[in-house]
Amino acid sequence: MASHPVLNISNVTKYYGKFKALDSVSFSVDKGWVYGYLGPNGAGKTTTIRIMLGLLKPNQGEVQITGANPSKDPVQAFRSVGYASELPTLQTFFTAEQLLDFMGKMFELPTQTRKEKTRQLLDLVGLKEWGKKKIGTYSKGMVQRLSVALALINDPMVLIMDEPTIGMDPEASVHFRSLFMNLAKEGKTIFISSHLLDEVQRICTHIGMINKGKIVFSGPIEQVLEAFTQQWVVEAELEKVTESIVSSLKAFESVSDVKVDGNRLVIELKEKKDVRGEISSEIFRQKGVLLSLNLHKITLEDAYLQALKGGQ
Amino acid sequence: MGALRRVGVIAGYEWRRALAKKKVLALIILAIAFQTLIMVVFSQLVVGAFFTVEFRSLIWIVGVSEGQGLFFPLIAIIVAGGSMAEEYEHGTADILLSKPVRRVEYMWGKLLGGFSLLATVEALITFVGVVLSLWFFGAQSGLQFAPLMFLAIVYSSLIFFSLSFMFSEVFRGSTLAMLGAFGVLIASSVISPILSSLYSMTNQQSYLYLSKGLPTWAATNFPSFLMSKLITVPSTVFSVGDLGDLYQAALIIAVYAIVFIVMAAFRLLKSDVTKKAG
Repeated sequence: MASHPVLNISNVTKYYGKFKALDSVSFSVDKGWVYGYLGPNGAGKTTTIRIMLGLLKPNQGEVQITGANPSKDPVQAFRSVGYASELPTLQTFFTAEQLLDFMGKMFELPTQTRKEKTRQLLDLVGLKEWGKKKIGTYSKGMVQRLSVALALINDPMVLIMDEPTIGMDPEASVHFRSLFMNLAKEGKTIFISSHLLDEVQRICTHIGMINKGKIVFSGPIEQVLEAFTQQWVVEAELEKVTESIVSSLKAFESVSDVKVDGNRLVIELKEKKDVRGEISSEIFRQKGVLLSLNLHKITLEDAYLQALKGGQ
Repeated sequence: MGALRRVGVIAGYEWRRALAKKKVLALIILAIAFQTLIMVVFSQLVVGAFFTVEFRSLIWIVGVSEGQGLFFPLIAIIVAGGSMAEEYEHGTADILLSKPVRRVEYMWGKLLGGFSLLATVEALITFVGVVLSLWFFGAQSGLQFAPLMFLAIVYSSLIFFSLSFMFSEVFRGSTLAMLGAFGVLIASSVISPILSSLYSMTNQQSYLYLSKGLPTWAATNFPSFLMSKLITVPSTVFSVGDLGDLYQAALIIAVYAIVFIVMAAFRLLKSDVTKKAG
């Protein structure tokens, strides 16, 4: 399939004084991807986003959004881009309706479209009743919701979101995750920076990991799970663990080690292969009573930690 | 056309931002209240050689220009001082500058929005000044020049408006910008007459040049120099300058404004958009 990058970061380096915040960062995001951008605090996530938005100028390298450089041609670059910042501080002297209308004007939307979009978006983010109230009276979670609505005012092709669900209650987080998934289904490209690995694993098709200003991984989410999996483990809970069960399992060709933890067996596998069938048969053959058997595959959190370790 | 429209949208935004600030509204109200008070006080002092018939018929000039001394520069400094800096302080610059707008369009929108607001305030002050003069002192002469007086005051306010605007972008802190511009206004107001006195005493031209080069000389004298060319008035009403002074004042205002605006633009275009602290 042909690649259609809508977001291309090429060899970007950024210094703050003598501190190198980004070191030759490169990645690209194709149309329709939901790209999760992960990294510990101070890794360079926000710096990357601010360079993408043209707010910071890179010392080296280039950024292209929808084919335009945001520093040189922001009008072209941001026409189809929506941005929701982390814990945004919005113009408190506006009401939500006024701010959405103003942002609509920035995107040159006609009056009628602005009115309709304002109504739809306030409804979508659950602020319908609050549209005429000053933003200064909103809670943090409400400001975050409004920020997402603002990012959608121009029906953007690319959505850039920095920790979009931070400050939201669990119910709202679920609502917004589902909203992002629907937007992705509509073909929008979403770039999402988040600390919530579970959220990223549920939403994203691709991820990028950054540590100490360097990209340590960028690619499809399955690939990162595969790339950073050291070992698969089968956990078996038995009514009673016997010596014969342990020794027979240790004799398996695909098993590297078996650890006993009370009535629980931790069976480490040599290969990334699901051998639960063989293991349960062997336990049964050794007259063991199996209560549960789980294959522990790597989670994004495991992969993330592995990747960071590798990057250090 | 798109660029002009974007500048217009930002200018409209700037009006709302500035008017949302209570201190701007308070200063506008104070300026008009002070203007009214002056006229009331003057109306009670109708006797004496100072209040000749000629003076009474030109009192509208005092009514229109009295705010120029303190309140109008203060309003200019506060409107411009918060213009760029408050967007950085509140973190809203990120939101505005990640939209399809060029930084230079954003700056012009801010500049023109603030300045047009200032001009509207001066229009209101001019109108109130004329009405009060007619109310308290009867028929006025030379009223046809009131619009020109208004334009001259607005033009002369460019110096402190653009200075405060430049500080606002360079320091990216509104308090520092306003204090800086106000400090220049006070210092210049104090030093300029001292230099003029030194010139009178020593007759050394350098004192005169230095005095004229300070921002307050042109900012405060330009409207009166212009009016003295249009209406014959006693020097008690306002400073009278020759044509050379008028041109010099106009030129000095333009040079200061251009330099300050270029400095602000240079800072905005060449540097990163700083993030809200904390």
